[in-house]
Amino acid sequence: MLKLTLRTLNANKIRLALTTFAVVLGVSFVVSSLVLGDGLRNSFGSLSEEIVGGTDLQVQPVSDFGTAQPLDASLLTAIEEIDGVHHAAGQVVADNIQPIRADGTPVSTVGPPLLGFSWVDDPALSGFTVVDGRAPDRGLEFTIDEDAAAANDMRIGETYGIVTPTGRFEMELVGMVRFGESNATLGAVLSQFPLETAQNLFNRSGQFDVISVAYDEAVDREAVQAAITAVLPAQVAALDQAQLLDDAKADFNSGVNIFNNILLGFAGVALFVSIFIIANTFAIVLGQRTKELALLRAIGASPAQVRRSTLLEALIVGLVASALGILGGLGLNYGLRAMFEALGADLPESALILAPRTIVVAFAVGVGVTFLSALAPARKAARVAPIAAMQDSLDAPRQSDKRRNLVGAALMVGGITVGSFGLFGTIDGTVGRIAVLAAGAVLTFVGLALACPAVAHPIIGSIGLPLRILGTAGDLSTQNAGRNPRRTASTAASLMVGLALVTMAMVVGESIKQSISDTLASEVRADYIVSSDGPINSALISDLTASGLFSAVSGYRYDEIQVDGVINGVMAGDVEATDRLFDLGITTGQLTNDPFTVAVYGPEADEKGVEVGDQLEVMFPSGATETLTVSAIFDSSTIVDDNYFISIGEWDRRFGQSNDWWAAALLSEGVSSESASASLAGLEAKYPQVGFESQAEFRRSIESQIDQMLVAINAMLVLAIIIALIGIANTLALSVFERAREIGLLRAVGMSRRQTRQMIRWEAALVALFGSVLGISVGLLFGWGAVTALPDSLVSTLAFPFSRISILVAVCGLSGLLAASFPARRASRLNVLDAISHA
Amino acid sequence: MSLLAIEVTTPAPVLDTPIAASARNAVKIYRTGDTEVRALDGVSVDFVQGRFTAIMGPSGSGKSTLMHCVAGLDQLTSGSVAIGEVQLAGLSEKNLTTLRRDQVGFVFQAFNLIPTLTVEENIKLPAALARTKPDPEWLATVIDTVGLGDRLRHRPDELSGGQRQRVAVARALASKPRVIFADEPTGNLDSRTGGEILAFMRSAVDEMGQTIVMVTHDPIAASYADRAVFLADGRIVDEIQSPTADSVLNHMKTMGD
Repeated sequence: MLKLTLRTLNANKIRLALTTFAVVLGVSFVVSSLVLGDGLRNSFGSLSEEIVGGTDLQVQPVSDFGTAQPLDASLLTAIEEIDGVHHAAGQVVADNIQPIRADGTPVSTVGPPLLGFSWVDDPALSGFTVVDGRAPDRGLEFTIDEDAAAANDMRIGETYGIVTPTGRFEMELVGMVRFGESNATLGAVLSQFPLETAQNLFNRSGQFDVISVAYDEAVDREAVQAAITAVLPAQVAALDQAQLLDDAKADFNSGVNIFNNILLGFAGVALFVSIFIIANTFAIVLGQRTKELALLRAIGASPAQVRRSTLLEALIVGLVASALGILGGLGLNYGLRAMFEALGADLPESALILAPRTIVVAFAVGVGVTFLSALAPARKAARVAPIAAMQDSLDAPRQSDKRRNLVGAALMVGGITVGSFGLFGTIDGTVGRIAVLAAGAVLTFVGLALACPAVAHPIIGSIGLPLRILGTAGDLSTQNAGRNPRRTASTAASLMVGLALVTMAMVVGESIKQSISDTLASEVRADYIVSSDGPINSALISDLTASGLFSAVSGYRYDEIQVDGVINGVMAGDVEATDRLFDLGITTGQLTNDPFTVAVYGPEADEKGVEVGDQLEVMFPSGATETLTVSAIFDSSTIVDDNYFISIGEWDRRFGQSNDWWAAALLSEGVSSESASASLAGLEAKYPQVGFESQAEFRRSIESQIDQMLVAINAMLVLAIIIALIGIANTLALSVFERAREIGLLRAVGMSRRQTRQMIRWEAALVALFGSVLGISVGLLFGWGAVTALPDSLVSTLAFPFSRISILVAVCGLSGLLAASFPARRASRLNVLDAISHA
Repeated sequence: MSLLAIEVTTPAPVLDTPIAASARNAVKIYRTGDTEVRALDGVSVDFVQGRFTAIMGPSGSGKSTLMHCVAGLDQLTSGSVAIGEVQLAGLSEKNLTTLRRDQVGFVFQAFNLIPTLTVEENIKLPAALARTKPDPEWLATVIDTVGLGDRLRHRPDELSGGQRQRVAVARALASKPRVIFADEPTGNLDSRTGGEILAFMRSAVDEMGQTIVMVTHDPIAASYADRAVFLADGRIVDEIQSPTADSVLNHMKTMGD
């Protein structure tokens, strides 16, 4: 039997290639995701080691929640005095420290941060070594990493502007540094300043963010660590080298893992789609070989032998496809990188790591999927009666689909139930929720695929109506697409899955955009929203207020507090200005900057059972507890998306100096946006990090962010759609093969080559449209479910992007036409005589 | 030069009976590797309009090749074939298709019908492909003659083998082709059903003036024809007018010697 299996495979190379292709694509995607993830983890691992460097111990502020208070500078002296401490250095670090190029334009990155450090004159502790010039010593001088200097054409001895949280300063570039061994900054820009300068610029006078310690040689490390720990105050911790390395790696890896899991999720979709195609191909191929199988049975092969032979065939296809998939995956790895880099992500250079685990997964997935797909067709093949060898059948007899439809319907109901549980049920954690949702979606899809032969004929009949104008070729396309509902349905099912997901993403995206528009229209009174990639300069708020153009200005910042033992988000701003800038939906009370007051989000107030005038016991990250009076209850969570809202004055008392993340401003009466634009342009030049966006611009920029995200999601789902289209081409190629005599007859009685091509192409377009109609219907339903499940603060309105969806349908129909060009060509080139005479 | 041109345009003598299809010095050579098979070795034959011709011969004699070449399904190595006045050599694939659709009807041994189309749609298929409407009166006559009026909406898989062949003949007749080529049309049928089909073809010739060329190796089938042409090794070796089963059988025996 093995010989027969091999001969059969060998005799049908094209068929084999077509079957294999879907598996290869799916496996390639899995492999490339794993390879990319391994590569990133590897390069982040070595980066972590460079970051930790020769630091033996690091002292950091910690807190159970919220932002920890910086360390007091006096702690350094205490640590330095401990026996066994060779060298200790305090350091301050800040984000969004932006150098200005010689031509006046700011240095900027897409994604990676602009970090500022205080200089530590010990490469073992800081990770920095001077490669040119000298270290920053005192006053307004700085150094920068060599790659940033080269990329922005910055020269030693020149003076450049530096924008910091406390304002813009002109400083002299005195040197260039290298981070670690190869300056692997991952695209970040790293500037260094003298300690005192940095402390002043970063709002850290008399304070440190971390203290790094290097031990003497040959000391009892545990004893030294114990001695250091002994001098640390509350809310300060000491981490040894191993812990630091673990922390750094865990930080990076959690990011890589999320990224990797998302990629694998898409790979899963692609594989799920290929299952339909492989199963379909096997079913068709075995159907065509009915006579051969019947002959085998007639001359004495047992059903088990026939089944084993078929499964062996699947096994070999799976092995070949997995091997090709691994090669494809290594190539696709570069494609994925290029895609993410085109989308603005700066991925670190990484080695091509093909871990044994990746190879095992590739073969398990490839062989598993193929084998699974071949189970049902193999069972059917084993049931072929020997008598079939002697019969001449035109078409396979119609089987009763009643049971199949029932099972399909049951699965769909089950899937939707599981899905709803995932959406509305009580499941902890996003991962669990997503897993339940995915299981629900898979069940629904399988159910639909099983039940959709029942609707294939009527739907195809009606979408095929316009094809009547094409005459007989169009008529025959419709008939052919509808003649084997099961095959059409499973071909279309693969497209359905891909499109359903794309449509769902589009519905969610459109709904979010619509919700934002609605919110902006109804809740935002501010004329300008000021935003930045990092914290914004606190001086900007006072400049805005001082400009005299605005009647209300507020910056906004975030942290955490603990209320009744529960950690809650807290937001702070100019509360009274906020009342004029936004409509927070105040139900009772009044927004006020009065000390010891807090505004509470309605549902939270209900849960805590507090009303305006009631007192709330609040704990801050420092551990201090205060009693605040509830001044107002607000109902909208769009602008203030935390449960508690306090004034900046209140904030400064508990959190110390900190940065705003965005701001809003309302023009005074009688000031038009035209007259304000000159002053705003001046401010934009002074604070190059921030952007002033009008309501319309703000809406557009958020919309473009959502669109960008959708592009990334859809780009990966396109793979599933491509696999589906290959499936259509594949099924049709096999159908053309199967219908050779019929096509020969049509050609003999006068069908032209053009008409033949048309017939096959339109059949493909119909199958594609059928899949699109199903997929989009399901996608709209899923999209509705997702929008319903998402919190109101994110999506409040359900919107359907009908114009985009109709474009999608048209594109799928056209792609169907395109997918059919190969089988259509084959059909039209069919040798009429061969087709007719080969009975 | 001008003299020559005048000579060429001189009308040929008008024949009493026009020729529906013809072959002149038809040679067809198949090559497989180094071996060369002369399937047709200089065949010249006329198929007169309104007559029923049987092409006979043993397997490999070239009878099917002759039919395929005259019908425009296959191309000659040398020589010429014509349907009516149209020379097939040099016609493009597109023109050949149109010619087949409008001038030629086919009846094959098996698989004559498109399974997805009804009986009526199958009969109208060539006209539908040409995007024309068949003459309704003629169609009614054909359907009436075939005797399948009550089955027009049925699909081929609901018909018996004999009924399917009758539909095939009806389809061939429906477009009023110049000539119908039938390739062993009764090969898959029992003798009684086969007789019915042959009688039906005979009546199409007698009553509708249809020209039919039938390839067969069955002496009884040949006896329905007006004329039997015998092929052996790619050449025409003999022919009989108004053949009977016995005369054909005798003839085949002498050929065997």
